[in-house]
Formats: sequence, structure tokens, C-alpha cells
Amino acid sequence: MSKKVYDVAIIGAGIVGTMTAFYLSKYNVNAVVLEAGIDIASGTTRANSAVIHAGYDAPEGSLKAKLNVKGAKMVGPIAKQLGVHYKKCGSLVLGYNKKDLNQLKILLVRGKKNGVRGLEILTQSQLRKMEPNVSRDAKYALYAPSAGIVCPYDLAYALGENSCTNGVDYIFEYKVDKIEKNQRNYLLYSNNRVVKAKYVVNAAGLYSDEIAEMLGDPLPFKIIPRRGEYLLLDKCEGKVVTHTLFVTPSEKGKGILVSPTVDGNVLVGPNANVVESKADTGVTVEGVREISEGARGIVPSINLNTVITTFAGVRSTPTSGDFYIQESKKFPRFVHAAGIESPGLASSPAIGEYIIKILDRAGLKMEEKEDYIPTRTKDGNCKLFMDMTESEKRNAVRKDPHYAKIVCRCEMVTEGDIINAIKRPIPAHTIDMVKRRTRAGMGRCQGGYCRAKVAEIIARELNIKISDVKKFTSNSNVIGGRTK
Amino acid sequence: MSKTMKKRLVIIGSGPAGLSCALSALKNGIPKENILVLEREEELGGTLNLCIHAGFGKDNKTGTELATELADKVRNAGITCMTSTTVLSIDKRKIITLISPELGYTKITAEAIVLATGCRERSRGGLSIGGTRPAGILSAGTAQRFINLEGYMPGAKTVVVGTTDLALVIARRITLEGGQVVFVCDSKKKPQSERVKVGECLDYFNIPLKLHTTITRIFGKDRIEGVEIAELDKKGRPIKETKERVECDSLVYSCGFIPENELANSLGIEMRQSTHGPRTTRKMETSIDGIFSCGNSRMIHEDVDDIILDGKKAGKFVAEHLKSLKEDKKKKKEKKQ
Repeated sequence: MSKKVYDVAIIGAGIVGTMTAFYLSKYNVNAVVLEAGIDIASGTTRANSAVIHAGYDAPEGSLKAKLNVKGAKMVGPIAKQLGVHYKKCGSLVLGYNKKDLNQLKILLVRGKKNGVRGLEILTQSQLRKMEPNVSRDAKYALYAPSAGIVCPYDLAYALGENSCTNGVDYIFEYKVDKIEKNQRNYLLYSNNRVVKAKYVVNAAGLYSDEIAEMLGDPLPFKIIPRRGEYLLLDKCEGKVVTHTLFVTPSEKGKGILVSPTVDGNVLVGPNANVVESKADTGVTVEGVREISEGARGIVPSINLNTVITTFAGVRSTPTSGDFYIQESKKFPRFVHAAGIESPGLASSPAIGEYIIKILDRAGLKMEEKEDYIPTRTKDGNCKLFMDMTESEKRNAVRKDPHYAKIVCRCEMVTEGDIINAIKRPIPAHTIDMVKRRTRAGMGRCQGGYCRAKVAEIIARELNIKISDVKKFTSNSNVIGGRTK
Repeated sequence: MSKTMKKRLVIIGSGPAGLSCALSALKNGIPKENILVLEREEELGGTLNLCIHAGFGKDNKTGTELATELADKVRNAGITCMTSTTVLSIDKRKIITLISPELGYTKITAEAIVLATGCRERSRGGLSIGGTRPAGILSAGTAQRFINLEGYMPGAKTVVVGTTDLALVIARRITLEGGQVVFVCDSKKKPQSERVKVGECLDYFNIPLKLHTTITRIFGKDRIEGVEIAELDKKGRPIKETKERVECDSLVYSCGFIPENELANSLGIEMRQSTHGPRTTRKMETSIDGIFSCGNSRMIHEDVDDIILDGKKAGKFVAEHLKSLKEDKKKKKEKKQ
């Protein structure tokens, strides 16, 4: 393996890394993705607001503005190609007073300049018609019909699986700890292992500053880890809002939102607190209280007794305020994609394309593949049982009786879905990997019913002991030893 | 093209409610070949199968014994029971769509349906605990399945949160299986369990009980390494001075139970807020004609005997309903003639 030289190595399998791999895999390029975590979407991509922002937030002329507006339009077609749930539900920024209204007008003008279509400021009665449960104190709203929602890790999985199917290698638990350069190649070390590549893309998210420093080319800004906490509500509350609802943004950021999710739940959050550790995804009692209050300010009748789980994600906020995507000036063929915070998810397709163009300009030989496979696997997009039509269900059950066995009753996930996830291009081998690929354990009982069954299936399919089944990392065994 | 079976009475769920309902319907005059019991697990008996401890029914049987007894009665009576069979949906015309490895994707048309789908554990979502979400945090039901069915322990040092029947029983089970329960805690001032005695589950095994105490934080990145606990003040807020870190390698929580009514909800059956179950008439019929509800899916019962009684009643009423349907049909026929 050490003799092999890749054309391109991408550091990081978040949304930026997988999107880059997705575009790259359309060409005859030998590429590898190196991921420190155990799975795709192990960092910021795993836990965020899941919103495809329309593009009125970023200042005119910024790279963010350009890539957001462009990227948001590209998400739909990619989601369709790869069978990812995406919904153009539209967003509403609520204004509670005249000061907010002025701010909304600024956003409207900015959005128009950025090229966002369909923006308009609604009156209270227009707003209430669209969102009957919204606070009566909300008097105005900026409506962006082009905004949408997507499941961020599902998108990243789809991109990862499709690129893997098209020949991109993925190496997990490969935390790059040293970078060297010889005359031709970059040498990316991890724990005495080495991967060689002619071109490198630094898509390490929160850790992109550390990668740049390892290279000897520090970023011209700092990355501040900012944690956002979230509440996820049961599907029974799923119809309380139909658009993504924001409050008027302040200096602190976009503030708390209440949004439907593509799976039918409601997402509430985030707050924004600077944390010391980039890995601090802990939830605080105070934080939960803060976002609960925020949510009630938007939808007073929201039933927060229906919270099924709380979680937090850490975003990589650049002190410069803009995305930084360019080839290193000191080190040719090494591309930094850093400071990707919100609207990174919405921008990601445009970021991916942008990186490909930089690689192209830097001299990467790119000829289109003739045998490109447009789906996640050679056989299609691995539809989940619950997403199938009646005749597809009938066929699935006939072909494989495992599809007739429901394992997760909340989300109606079958044993067939789980076995499929374990055998997919980027295979699931932990409880959480199965959960994020199939939704088993994501429903209202949060795995109370199915976790033991999922562990049994993983153990059986991988021929390991049930006590060796992990939740997410190599030290996260789900259970202890045997009973006496 | 699609196979459509017909059954006069379909009972969904084979826990104590569903099985006693089937027996009672038979006793009240519904022929055995007209009754079908559907069960998604491989075994009949529902949650009883997880309860290997004694204390069920008049003779203080174990849950598994009681499940076997009921299942044998139903089978010996010649009632058809389909296991490993999950109902995907029911429509208002009482067409049931189900999947099973044996029958595949199938539809059954019923004249009457009894929902005996039982209950599920509440998730810990409502327990807003700070900190990370490492491995080693299990619901009591999951822990019960791992220990009683698979033979694996949640860990070596376990903290149990909650004082439901199940929480107390699982604390005792962990101790019996050689594990250590550091303590059992609950934010309430009194144990939630009425039926199971704290004495026989905790005191007898020297398991400490901390009431009016809550977990405020979870430590550990990969696996749980400890929890922070605090006593509560009069308003139920954690008292800072009492905060203390306790080491553990697993946490088992039990936040109570909630009736399982996915099917009822998807049918648009009217629900009762106070019980989280369907609103039922005196004859245990839901807001949809010919669809009945009993057992824990109708409302949470403390005692299995009450569940069996609920099932029995439902069986009697559904039999009456089917008889009156038959008479109506007869009358219509006579009128036509």
C-alpha cells in the first residue's frame, strides 16, 4: 500500500470531503479520503441544523454568498440522483418589531443582490396563513421559498457511497498527524502509516487549521469551535411548523430555529457557545433551557414534552468570517477548504465543484469516466423499506425474507435494511453506523426496543461476539461481559 | 394479484391482553377458525417473555411461565397465531397490511380488530441530562433483554435511574447476576413503583436508594465513566453544594411506560390525552366502529391481572359486536327476500 501514490488525497469525510470525492469520482482520478473518525460525517456534518439556506445571510461579494446561492440550487438534483430525502420547504425569518423589520429589509436587499429568487416580506396575516402556530408577536417575516431541508449525514453517506462505488478509497480512523513533502508527492502520516498523494485537499473541518500547521502553512485566521445544542421532537409534533422558522439574526448569529426535518420530526436549536475543546459535543442543562425558551418565542404552543433526544454539534467558525478555499501559496497542489461554517451544508455542492476547479487549474489530469455509476451502488440507491412503494415492498419481501422482519418498530426498519447497511460500499459495523444509515433507533423510543436486536444482527453478520459490538468508537462497547 | 385473506376477528398483539382476548372471544361464541392473533416477535407472550422474575398472576408465577401458560391455552384451543408478523398499516375498511417471512407482504380483511399492542418504555429524551452521550447507557428494557435473553451484563458498575417496577427489578437482577448497582435514584420523593416492594428488590440486596436526587451530568467520551448527581431543592432544582461525581461504567434508565398506539394514530382513532390511549366506549370500542382496544395500549395498568381482565372484557364485547353484525346481515337478507 505504501508504494501506491494517489492522485488526490482528501483529508476529512464530512460534507466537504465527500462532496469533493463525489465530483472527483466522475473522472479517471485515483483518489482516497482519509478520515480520523470511524465513519463518514463524524464531525460537524453529523450534528447541525440540516438547513439548505437560501443565501440572503452572507455579505454581498463574499465567497460564502456566491457558493451558498449556487450550492443551494444544486442540492435538489444531487439528492434526486442519490435517493436522499430533500424538501424545499422554504424558510421564514420572523420580525417582532420595527427594528427587526429594518433588518429584514436589509436581508431582502442583500439576498436579491446575492441572486436569491422569490424573496418577499410578508405581513402578519400572510405569515399566519402559512404558519398558524407561530407566535402572535411575530409581525413580519422574510420568506425565502428556495430554502430547504436535507439530512446532512444521509447526504454525506450517499456521496461517500457513490464515490466509493466509483473507485474512491476510504480509510477510517486515519487521523493525519504528520505531513511531509518530497519532490513529487505529499506524505500524509497517521500513527506511522503513510499515504502518498500528488494533490491534497484539506477538508478537515474543525481541524483544518491543525492540518495547515502540520503542512507549515498556517491559515491566515483562527478557527473557533462553537457548540450548538439541539432538541429533536417526536414525529407526533411534526406538523407544528411546515417551514424553517428563524428569528431576525443578531451579531451572535442566526439564532434559534424551529424546523421540520425530512424525516417528519421537528428540530429546535441551536444556541452558540464557544467551547474549549473541538470535541465537546456535550449537552448542558442550561443550554436545553435556553433553546426551549427560544423555541417557545417562535411557536408558543410547541409541546416540548415530546423531545425524544438532545444533542450538540461543534461548528468551525473562522475569525475571518468567510470560507477560505484556495491552493496553498507556499505548497503547490495542496488545497485548503477551511472555515466552512453555516451555510456550509447548503454551499457544499458548489464548494465541491470549486475545489475541483482549483485542482484542475493546479494541473490535475481530469478525463471523464466512461463507466461512471450515478447511484450509490451498482444496484441502485439502497432504498429503505419504509421509503418503498407498495409493489417495491412486496418484491423486497419476496426476494429476501429479512425484509419481512421489522427490527425498529418506531421507524419501521427491517432486518433487510440493517443487513444491507452492514454490507454496503462503506459498511456499517457499529450500532450508530447502522442507526444513521437506516434510522433504526432514531424514533420515539430511541433504541430502547431495537438496540439489543441491532447488536445481535451486527454480531451475527460480522461473526463477532455481541459484547464486541460497539456504539461508535473502538472503545464504546455497548454492553459489558457475560452474566455469571 | 395480491393475496387477500379474510378473518372475522384479528387481534394485534399476543401479550396477556391479546391472548386473554382471544380466549374470551372463543368462549363467547366466536369459532376458533374465525380468530387470528398477530405477533411481531418470534414468541407469543409479549413483554412477559422478558420478565424472568416471579410475581405474576395469582400463583406468583414468573412472567415467562405466565406467557407460556396463556400461549399454550390459546394454541390448544386451536386459534391461529402468526408470529414474526408485523402489521404495517390498517385502513378504515379494516384491511390489514402485514409482513411476515412466511407470508410475505399480505393483506387481511377483518370484520373486527382488537388493538392489543401493549406499551413501550418512555425514552430518556425527557430526562434533560447534561454531558456527552457515550455507550453504556441503556433503557431498562434493553438491559433486561441483554441480561435475560442474551446473557450479557450492561457493565460491572451500574447506576439505575428511576424507581418504576422495571427499574427496581432490573437493579435486583443485575445484583443477582454478579454486577454491582452503585445506587438507584429518582427525582421524585417517593418510589414510583406501587406493586414491587423496595424492600424485596433493593433493601434486601443492600442497594442504596437516593430519592429526590437527579443525574445532572454524564461523563465519558466513548463509554460512560461516571455521572454527576445532585439532591433537589423544594422547587426541584439541583442543589449545587450536593453535587458529587460517582464512577460507573453503565447507566440503566427507566422513565416509565407509554401506550403504543402507532396503528391507532395512523387510523385517526380519537385519543385520550390523560392515558395516551384511544378513547373507548364502555364496550371498549374505539371511535372507529368495530375496532377495539385493550390492555396496556388502551391505558397503562399496574398489574398483569388487570391486563388479563381487560383482554377478557374486550373479547366478550368484540364477540357481541360480531354476533350483532351477523344478525344485521341476516335481517338485511330477509328484508331483501
